[in-house]
Amino acid sequence: MPKLIIDDREIEVPAGTKVIEAAERLGIKIPRFCYHPGLGSVGACRVCAVKFLEGPFKGVQMSCMIDAKDGMVVSTTDEEAVNFRQYVIEWLMLNHPHDCPVCDEGGHCLLQDMTVSGGHGIRRYLGLKRTYHDQYLGPLVQHEMNRCIHCYRCSRFYQEFTGYHDLGVMQIGSRTFFGRYQDGTLESPFAGNLSDICPTGVYTDKPSRFFGRRWDYQRSPSICINCSLGCHTVASGRYREVVRQEARYSEAVNGYFICDRGRYGFFYTSNEERPRQALVDGKEVSYDQAIREAREKLGELIKSTGPDAVACVSSERSSLETQAMLKKICQTKGWQGPHYFLDESMAQKVKSASSRLESGLAVSLRELESADFILVIGADPVNEAPMLALAMRQAQRRGGKIAVIDPRPVSLPFEFHHLNVTPNEVNLCASLLVKTAVDLGAATDLEQPGIEFYQAIPKLETVSSSLQEQIAKVAQELKESKRPIIVCGTETVRQTTPALAADHALLLQATNKQAGLFYLLPGANSFSASLLASEDGSFLETLEGIENGTIKGLILVERDLLLHFHDRQRMELAFEKLELLVVLDYVNSRTQQRAHIFLPTSTLYEAGGIFITQEGRLQVVPRAHLSGTPIAQVSGGNHPPRIYESEIPGGEPRPGWQALAELVHEEPQPDENTTRSSVLNGLSELNPAFATIPAIDELPEDGMRVSSPEESSPRFSLDWIHELERKESPDKSLELVLVNWTFSTEELSQYSPPLMKLEKEAAVFMHVDDATSLGLSDSDKVTILLDRGALEASVSVKENMAPGIIVMPRHRLLEWQKIETLPKFVSHEEIKKVSV
Amino acid sequence: MKSALEAIGALATGFATTFKHLFRKPITEEYPEYRRPLPERSRAVIVLTRDPDGGERCVACYLCSAACPVSCISMQSAEREDGRRYARWFRINFARCIYCGLCEEACPTSAIQLTPYFETCERDILKLVYEKEDLLVEHSGKDKEYNFYKYAGVVTEVGDKGAHEREEKPVKIKSNLP
Repeated sequence: MPKLIIDDREIEVPAGTKVIEAAERLGIKIPRFCYHPGLGSVGACRVCAVKFLEGPFKGVQMSCMIDAKDGMVVSTTDEEAVNFRQYVIEWLMLNHPHDCPVCDEGGHCLLQDMTVSGGHGIRRYLGLKRTYHDQYLGPLVQHEMNRCIHCYRCSRFYQEFTGYHDLGVMQIGSRTFFGRYQDGTLESPFAGNLSDICPTGVYTDKPSRFFGRRWDYQRSPSICINCSLGCHTVASGRYREVVRQEARYSEAVNGYFICDRGRYGFFYTSNEERPRQALVDGKEVSYDQAIREAREKLGELIKSTGPDAVACVSSERSSLETQAMLKKICQTKGWQGPHYFLDESMAQKVKSASSRLESGLAVSLRELESADFILVIGADPVNEAPMLALAMRQAQRRGGKIAVIDPRPVSLPFEFHHLNVTPNEVNLCASLLVKTAVDLGAATDLEQPGIEFYQAIPKLETVSSSLQEQIAKVAQELKESKRPIIVCGTETVRQTTPALAADHALLLQATNKQAGLFYLLPGANSFSASLLASEDGSFLETLEGIENGTIKGLILVERDLLLHFHDRQRMELAFEKLELLVVLDYVNSRTQQRAHIFLPTSTLYEAGGIFITQEGRLQVVPRAHLSGTPIAQVSGGNHPPRIYESEIPGGEPRPGWQALAELVHEEPQPDENTTRSSVLNGLSELNPAFATIPAIDELPEDGMRVSSPEESSPRFSLDWIHELERKESPDKSLELVLVNWTFSTEELSQYSPPLMKLEKEAAVFMHVDDATSLGLSDSDKVTILLDRGALEASVSVKENMAPGIIVMPRHRLLEWQKIETLPKFVSHEEIKKVSV
Repeated sequence: MKSALEAIGALATGFATTFKHLFRKPITEEYPEYRRPLPERSRAVIVLTRDPDGGERCVACYLCSAACPVSCISMQSAEREDGRRYARWFRINFARCIYCGLCEEACPTSAIQLTPYFETCERDILKLVYEKEDLLVEHSGKDKEYNFYKYAGVVTEVGDKGAHEREEKPVKIKSNLP
């Protein structure tokens, strides 16, 4: 631990710390442009110069390039260093345009700050300014190259950090240009970070272009609920709407960056069509009246047929408070549910994932970056949770090896082994891989069930020879690794896979490896949903109950059944049978439009809430602003109306938990906060796992991990082997695998106008062998006959995927909800080419 | 006795002064019959001026509203089709304004200017809230020459890249030839 003196103050830092970081620990912020803690140093901008008075270096040096060493005496205020920095600023400003008033970076611009603090005001140089033509970089990032100071942050981030290569450097010297070879949308799903890391206004945020200045925004810490990772963000609100979202540093979750789905997925909250008024049979009424009517109708229903006739369904995007409130209501009132998952097998997968995530195995997203081998079982990182791909990229940059066992045509921005086996073979392939890598003799402290589990894994010879070769190669790398981490998806895998992944992690741990386990879950709050979910009854049973008339009332809390359920026609018929459909939601979903009684709820930004990420990390989100129609919508773009009243227009929506409490209780309810804390205080009655969490305001910055009791789930189960023996697929038919894409499939980001522009055409993927036998070639149009009618899509023929399946995205523009039962198999005759 | 005389003397002087003034030309100006011309730089009602080419000068950069010590300026910036940044709406609450002139000093485009016109009294306080159409004038105010977009370097109808004042031709990124 070197000890050094900076500006007469001594500090001890870990070896390898740069002087610029050491100074920051003392609270001295040395100016910087090219240095970024997430990207490291290159020494390109020369503005972090300090003077070294004693020690191994002498004179003016770049503090970002020099490791702190014992005996160093550094001065940041030495006249020589200050002058040096002043000159650097002045020559960086030689070509900088005079456009701060029309630049969106103004107000949080690093160059602006440094220029002002460096004392540079008047441009002494009288020559002409260099200019560049700008490029169109897509709907998210605006390009203005004149402002560039050549710090290289963007190209380093884009190429080195994220692994995409369509943005980079051209030309040399003062003509250096950062951009693409030609105009076009940036390929990286992390492109939005360019606006964050650019120290000046070369890349600015396009969706919030010319919307306001940083100093006017109500900035509030928040988290992203567009996937299960729960990355940290800062929401910038102004005039009653969130206008921009940026990455917020998190030591445990996302580091410095976030993906574009999270960054731009918030537009549902200010959507013009968002219903903000309570509705009874389609007519606008006051909130209290709607609640009164709902209560009366529920009362009548229960009186005539009993509490069993009412069922409740919630979702994985509701906050823990709302989920728990619904659970409590169902318990006390004797209503059916609540169901948080529509698919029973998904509920089981999430359940086994959340119960198998022991504290000795669970790793955070940031810990994943230090893995030297990552085995992905049934997940497609870029499409399901883009930030996972970014973390894996960091592991790969540090020399980690990566293998993906997945039937989909997985594409990642780095080198990896892809074992594209069929969905049925995923479990087997993963087990063979681990078996080949693990030497049972070395696993001394493995218990008897573990040994039996190991021995039950079939021989490597059961699979094809080419796969054997691949497995042997990957297994060798796994064998050499010291810190392997297993990443397990839940979207396309079989029901036994999450538990199997945990068993494999245990096997690896038994051979003295520091193994870790990381799950991906289907929704932002799936983890808490699975902690609350009741053991008995599934959503399908409830649906059957509606169909045969035993269930007459349905309460849907932030759940769009017509979007998520795989048989829309059946759902619609069921809705017609209902006597009462109460919907609480904040988006204008199809389901919301079918409601008899609709109660608007507030979004994450308006209500705050607790969300539990896929690693069991419980995170609290504070409210960013009050509910209300954005001023821009009230005024139609013109100036705000000149009427003044105490009520906020469009301020009707209430937090889900509050609306639910008012719905069931006869007496008037206390305010939101009281209701909220009463729900939170009763959490441990719903699941003992919640007993350990402290009060909300005592939670650490990065949240805390909730762990299920250890004994809850059996280890080393052999269920997956029995599953192997069942042969499911009828001959000569293709299994339909429904998948998610980075954009266009996730529910909330579907309401985001900038992300709609990034959506790819809805296409189904097919292996080249299947396509050939069907007589199809790439980009052909086909109709696929499903149970409830045909579906038209174009075909994308791939080699890097499993044969025998059709990969179909749950695309916004593709009506895939025509499937009677899952898993669905499509025969060759049901796929027809459309002649153009 | 002496003091009585002194008192009478003082009274007489007073009355004499008053009497003398009866025949002097009055220095009082009869407002509103007479309106005194104020110096050009005196600070009263605020206007939004135009550049010499007739374009709106205000780029809605929010510097005036940031500088305003009483927070009486609010606006919303937006982008015109030609690339110019402008104020979609711009509102000054003159009931709150203290006419300090900090907004004018902060303005980087000479758009917001204080004028000598001060007669804005209203009975209804809401009438003192001026919108953009009330503020925008058809002249350049005190700064007759400046057109921000001629210097800014951003692409608008005023000029393409390299076509503004003191700019080089754009760098050809795909050629090493000058």
